[in-house]
Amino acid sequence: MNDPLKQLSEDTPRQRFVLAETGFNEVPKKYRKFYRRWQGSGDTLALNEVLCPVCRVVIRSSREIRPGDRVYCMPCMSRLVVIRSATGHLEARVAY
Amino acid sequence: MPENHVSDIHGLEPQEFLSQVHSFEFWFESVEGYLSGRPYGHQPDTVETPLSDLERDRLITALCNYCIGETVALEGASGLIAIAPNREAKIFLATQVADEGRHLEVLLRRLTDLGVTDPETEIEKHANRSLLTFRHRLRELVEGRDWEASIFAQNVILEAMEFSVFQTHAEVADPITREILEGIVKDERRHMGFGENDLGRRLALTPHIRDRLNVLRRSLDPLVLETFEDTLSQLGISRSEHPGLGRRYLETVERLGFAS
Amino acid sequence: MPDFLTAYSIQNWLESCPQGYLEQTQYGHAAGESEASIVLDSPKLRDQAIQSTVQLVVGERCALAASSGLINAAPDEGSKRFLATQTLDEARHVEVFTQRLLDLGVRKTELEPLIKEHANPHLVAFAEVLLEKIDKGDFVAGVVGQNIVLEGMAFTVFEMLYATNVEMNPKFAHTLSGTIADERRHVGFGENRIGSLIKEHPEKKAEIERMQKEMSFHMLATFADSFRESAPAIMEAQGILRGTNGTQAGASESRWQGRSLSTLAPEEMESLLADSVLKEFKIRLTRIGLDYQTPVAP
Repeated sequence: MNDPLKQLSEDTPRQRFVLAETGFNEVPKKYRKFYRRWQGSGDTLALNEVLCPVCRVVIRSSREIRPGDRVYCMPCMSRLVVIRSATGHLEARVAY
Repeated sequence: MPENHVSDIHGLEPQEFLSQVHSFEFWFESVEGYLSGRPYGHQPDTVETPLSDLERDRLITALCNYCIGETVALEGASGLIAIAPNREAKIFLATQVADEGRHLEVLLRRLTDLGVTDPETEIEKHANRSLLTFRHRLRELVEGRDWEASIFAQNVILEAMEFSVFQTHAEVADPITREILEGIVKDERRHMGFGENDLGRRLALTPHIRDRLNVLRRSLDPLVLETFEDTLSQLGISRSEHPGLGRRYLETVERLGFAS
Repeated sequence: MPDFLTAYSIQNWLESCPQGYLEQTQYGHAAGESEASIVLDSPKLRDQAIQSTVQLVVGERCALAASSGLINAAPDEGSKRFLATQTLDEARHVEVFTQRLLDLGVRKTELEPLIKEHANPHLVAFAEVLLEKIDKGDFVAGVVGQNIVLEGMAFTVFEMLYATNVEMNPKFAHTLSGTIADERRHVGFGENRIGSLIKEHPEKKAEIERMQKEMSFHMLATFADSFRESAPAIMEAQGILRGTNGTQAGASESRWQGRSLSTLAPEEMESLLADSVLKEFKIRLTRIGLDYQTPVAP
């Protein structure tokens, strides 16, 4: 059976975000706005952000991130797929 | 796969992404961001904090073992170029070779700045036995042209170990050592990521190599853990204060499907 | 660590190379530069450019394998660290010359088969002679083979190619100027480091001299094949240049070693290149205490 909440979420247009550099300097200049440093346990992720499990850098997108999305972590060169965890949070899993 | 905005990095095709990140150009533009204006790994105007004799001795012992770790990494990465399966992996490893050489150089320089007149002799004096055994094992794997085992030992185990130790040490280090270690950690992100992703792809295609690598992991684990313990005691850090040390290594091997 | 090695540190390399002459470049040339239209528009010139670039890729792949292999054999930390920078330089050369093949219209999927098909067998043999020494962990022979013979050859070939392309194809000339700057460090290290080691190991002289003779033979045979195969394209390029300039080998002609590359016949160019490389070998080998061995003519 289809999950009606999931359906609703997929039909809702994604929010767009204008990215600006945050001081992250570990990738080429043109890509820096797509990443920021993870500040630790007090840090919260925005709708367009997900944490890389490999190197603990926050990956950012110019649009809202949803389960099933593919994202790239350039600092550690990982390809990731976003999933919703058992706790309801978005998590990135490495797609080897 | 959902459609992405064209200007978004996440819209690249996987092969295109790998071609970009495994290139000299990528490395070149990445390190420019955090090495520019930092000769020998730190800003020239960072002030040296006075260290007690005990603190200085502990720091020198730790740095000597970091030098060994970086020499192991330099020898390992350079040896891996010959057995890398494709051009992009060779080029990536060449950037890693330069990174490891730089790490060795900045650490040796730090030893000299701390008053060590003969770093080679000092390093030999403080060498950790487990790390030397690890060096020997890695060299055997590389010389045996075993790509999977070598990349596992080098870019997963060794790099994860260094990443954890350097991050932990940076939190309590004097300002100059901290800057140096933070710069090294930024490089290690690339190395660890390359190792985990390359191995992950191989394990997905040829799952039978998992058993062989599991055996290797079990034989290398004690060496890694002994090195962790020894480094902590060199730095005067209690294990209970830093439970995260070693966790990263365990998380990485878990993601690759190697159970403890 | 010998004092001279401080000049070959990674810090010096960072300041002179990525933060120096390579700053603001993309694949070794300025952003936005493209291959000259006379190369792209002429099937003969394009094919010749592809053929010669394949040989550059093969040579640089050998240099990458050799310099990385030498790190483990190096007897001191300073040499290991210099070789780490050389390894990255060589990988960059592989990358920029491979990129040139793509710029010349080779498809990514065609790259490896094309390189395999067009790699000169003598150049492959040249690489095998060197890599055999590296595989045995012979540092002294490896550095002579890599940093004197291979790099000495590359240095001179790049200089000649630079002179040929500086007017006709500035993008490629810019790529070459960065590789020439790199090779200066490599040959410098070879001479400076190996001179003392040869004195310490006189028993190795005969074997190293044999290696130089064998590598030189394969090098000359590669030159002979390349100039023979490229002769029609070289003559076409010379004709276009003369026509473009509106002169008979006019003021903007390409000159190298005091000779006009716009008017030399292909076999004269081959002999000029071979003579230049061999003279360089002789001078460098004498400086480090080795006797140059005249190779058999191919």
